[in-house]
Amino acid sequence: MVGLCNLRHLSLALVSAALLAFQIVLLQSLATSQWHHFASFVISIALLGFGAAGTILTLTRNWMVARQGPLLPLLLCASAVALAGVMRLTQGLLGGFDSLLLFVVPGEMLRLAAVAFLLMLPFFFGALAIGLIFTVETERIGSYYFANMFGSGLGSILGLVGLSLLLPQSLPPFCALLALAAGAVLMPGTGRSVRSVMLCGLILVAASLFLPAQLHLSQYKDLSRTLDLPEATIVAHRPAAAGQVHIVASPVLRSAAGVSLNWSGPMPRTKAVFINGDMVGSLPPLPAINNPRDASTFALPYAVRTPHSVLVLNAGTGVDVAQALGQNVGTVVAVEPHRPLTETLRRNAPESFGRLLTDIRVTWQETASRTWLARDRQSYDLIILPGIGGFGGNAGLFALREQPLLTREAMRRIWEKLTPQGMLTITAWVDYPVRNPVRLLASLVETLVDEGVAKPTDHIAAVRSWGTITVCLKRTPYTSGELDNIRAFATRWAFDPALLPDLRPEERQVYNRLQDESLFVLFDAIINDEREALYRDYAFRVWPVSDDQPFFSQFLRWGRLTTMAELYGKHTTPFLELGMLVAGLAALVLTILAVLLIILPLVRLPREGRHGWETLFYFGGLGIGYMWTELALIHRFIFYLGQPVYAAALVVGVLLAGSATGSALTGRFTELRPWRWAAVVAGTLVLYALLLTSLLQATLPLPLPGRVTLAVLILLPAAVVMGMPFPLGLRLLNRVRSAEVPWAWGINGCLSVVGAAVATLIAVEVGYSLLLILAAGAYLVSVAVRFRGEE
Amino acid sequence: MRRVCDLPCKVLFLLLCFALLPLDCALAEDDRSAERKTMVAEQIVARGVKDPATLAAMRAVPRHKFVPLVQTFFAYDDRPLPIGHGQTISQPFIVAYMTEIIHPGPGKKILEGGTGSGYQAAILAATGAEVYTIEIIPGLAESASKKLQQLGYDKVRTKVADGYYGWAEHAPFDAIIVTAATEFVPPPLIEQLKDAGLMIIPVG
Repeated sequence: MVGLCNLRHLSLALVSAALLAFQIVLLQSLATSQWHHFASFVISIALLGFGAAGTILTLTRNWMVARQGPLLPLLLCASAVALAGVMRLTQGLLGGFDSLLLFVVPGEMLRLAAVAFLLMLPFFFGALAIGLIFTVETERIGSYYFANMFGSGLGSILGLVGLSLLLPQSLPPFCALLALAAGAVLMPGTGRSVRSVMLCGLILVAASLFLPAQLHLSQYKDLSRTLDLPEATIVAHRPAAAGQVHIVASPVLRSAAGVSLNWSGPMPRTKAVFINGDMVGSLPPLPAINNPRDASTFALPYAVRTPHSVLVLNAGTGVDVAQALGQNVGTVVAVEPHRPLTETLRRNAPESFGRLLTDIRVTWQETASRTWLARDRQSYDLIILPGIGGFGGNAGLFALREQPLLTREAMRRIWEKLTPQGMLTITAWVDYPVRNPVRLLASLVETLVDEGVAKPTDHIAAVRSWGTITVCLKRTPYTSGELDNIRAFATRWAFDPALLPDLRPEERQVYNRLQDESLFVLFDAIINDEREALYRDYAFRVWPVSDDQPFFSQFLRWGRLTTMAELYGKHTTPFLELGMLVAGLAALVLTILAVLLIILPLVRLPREGRHGWETLFYFGGLGIGYMWTELALIHRFIFYLGQPVYAAALVVGVLLAGSATGSALTGRFTELRPWRWAAVVAGTLVLYALLLTSLLQATLPLPLPGRVTLAVLILLPAAVVMGMPFPLGLRLLNRVRSAEVPWAWGINGCLSVVGAAVATLIAVEVGYSLLLILAAGAYLVSVAVRFRGEE
Repeated sequence: MRRVCDLPCKVLFLLLCFALLPLDCALAEDDRSAERKTMVAEQIVARGVKDPATLAAMRAVPRHKFVPLVQTFFAYDDRPLPIGHGQTISQPFIVAYMTEIIHPGPGKKILEGGTGSGYQAAILAATGAEVYTIEIIPGLAESASKKLQQLGYDKVRTKVADGYYGWAEHAPFDAIIVTAATEFVPPPLIEQLKDAGLMIIPVG
């Protein structure tokens, strides 16, 4: 019996590792084939599988418990086969779904639901096995919960390692092997039929190893569109946990973003560079070639004065570094956190990118830009931020992408780092309806106001081409000589000044006419101190963003959807804010699936007494509270650790390990009062909400190992107590109404699905601090519940 | 047991009906001029487009023939529609707006960069203008060329090529319409524009 227990622990750890590794693989697969707004979608899908499994357990508990011996390996085998096959099914048989078509193609919602259902299957079968073990081992739930959490933590590490070595679509078969091994360790003592099924499973998994699925990229991904060009080929490809890198060559690819209509020089051919299928730039031109970027609005700061020291944040492919060197600056510090990107470019583009790394004027820093800003003590004559938006109307697509360099806090830090004559420059693609340039200007003006600058307009200059607008914020007011330089630069390249301290209205549209005057009306409102009215009345959110809500590209105001529909057409409106609306639709689909698969069957279930609501509120509160906490903490630590993937791995890993420890500790508790621990969790979360941001900002300059250590120390106490209310509640429920144990497990899963699906949408509206407070509120709901008969 | 078996059949039937709905609509709609008139009145005139030649062209050209079969039902909706290869056919208002600005008509020579579905070229041709259109993606170019021929816009000159170089043999042009997303305007296009010629580019 002891041996069986140990094997079950091992099996539980293996299948948990398989499912979590698959979850991480799925995150990157969907980020590559679709967009990053499917991150919470993946978490919800996993939880949906767990919730649906809880329901099935509830309905078939006695039958399953009686057949647990053969059932457990069979369920794990089914999970393994699903792990090996669902990627192929969703990418192949269904032709993939395309989130951009959700609003225009009939049936695309059904396809999304079908994809969600299929992707749920490995989690469903795996969770059935996990739940069955939990059900029959309730009194030793602590140690099994520990094995579950330990395996999950291991799985997150394996997933990250796998993504660093292999393509995401190649990894599901390896996850399947883990799940199959979980089933194999439980095979002793089972019959011949079970062994035959396991053998079939092994054959299918082995076949999938040699025939991995192909990722079906959305036709609207930058990479898909680029590969459609004549003779386009992928010349370099590197898997990476932080996002896989592609370099594409085609004879028709040229680099000249926003170049002047007066430019008569050559447009150098280039190669395009992508991370997870999204274009991040092109290779910098060779030094011998005239750089068309010098004839774009990006060159505005060099027209004002030649800086000596330049800081390039999120340097990417190095085009801004190359331009700075071409302008004969003294030194350049380039900060780029994506190490695999830098490494791939160094190897594959030694003449264009590689020279930047070897130039003695350039220092290349592989760290997150916010970390560098916090740590670095130098001042700069010019600080260059990465461009905002893109050509081709994709502004709304990145609504849920966090941009910590564009928050008020970041702007203030950048302002502090400017020399007396120093400038901050940033370029936005002009969008319509106008959003990006308006929020950018509002952020800069509010920064100046915060810094006590009496007349912000004396410090801001902007010029506009047909497609881009570049803004330069100067530490000291522009001199008349500098303004003459700007006007001469604009005239030479047929640009129009958009903002100057002494700008005349007739100067604004000499060369490049816009469809209407809205850009200028909005700009005037910002510089004329009518910002509050603008923030209140404009159809879009254009006020500056903060570290607590760092969604610079999120402009949607749910309450103004009707106004937007009247202004731009009801069918066009979705294209303006696709990111948010797609995430909203995905959340809706998952909520419907969760209700159908988890809640609905349970409503008709006979209960012991009429106290099902107690289980609903207690375990539902825990589910929502846990997921909101997890997602809020992941996002807070993205800012701290610099890379989403590090933050996700660290937070999930610490929460799982801590919760596992907490649950293991509960095995020794003789007094079962779970609400006390739920109250402790709620109190801890309130403390986090109040103190975490300041603590993280104060310690941001620490080196990465120091930040990781501190992060673990910060997270661990909450993680340990967060692991206690669930197993304690289960044990208590088992004593008073044992038939509701699987139901409790299911309802926890269902509300975790909904919680994860809506967490980011809530954070966009209220910020991460308030999301933590809401999570504490969810735990307080559990605090308020008492199970009848528990005394 | 029988009831359990019925359920997947019903679901399959419903899914089939849903999938075939657009096909059915496409077959049933040969002439949709009434929808075009409504489209022009509600989406285009209401937003300020007044040029008679543009409005006449928008009423005449069968937009539903330029969209994929699955989209024909939605052809006159106030929105862009996907046409494959990551491209879209622009919202009707945008097509009309861009057309009105360059004042096409008989005797005007117009170059379009990015044929896409061929709809914009057909609208320009319907005003009597001489239209040259270039598409870089062969699949789109072939499909658009075939549709233009079938619908009688056979004077539209099409070419599968890199739009960067324009169409020097037929330059100069009175106007150039750039309908493809681009991060720069190629110098050869500027050179192929007549003095006082107009170029229109969608941004955002």
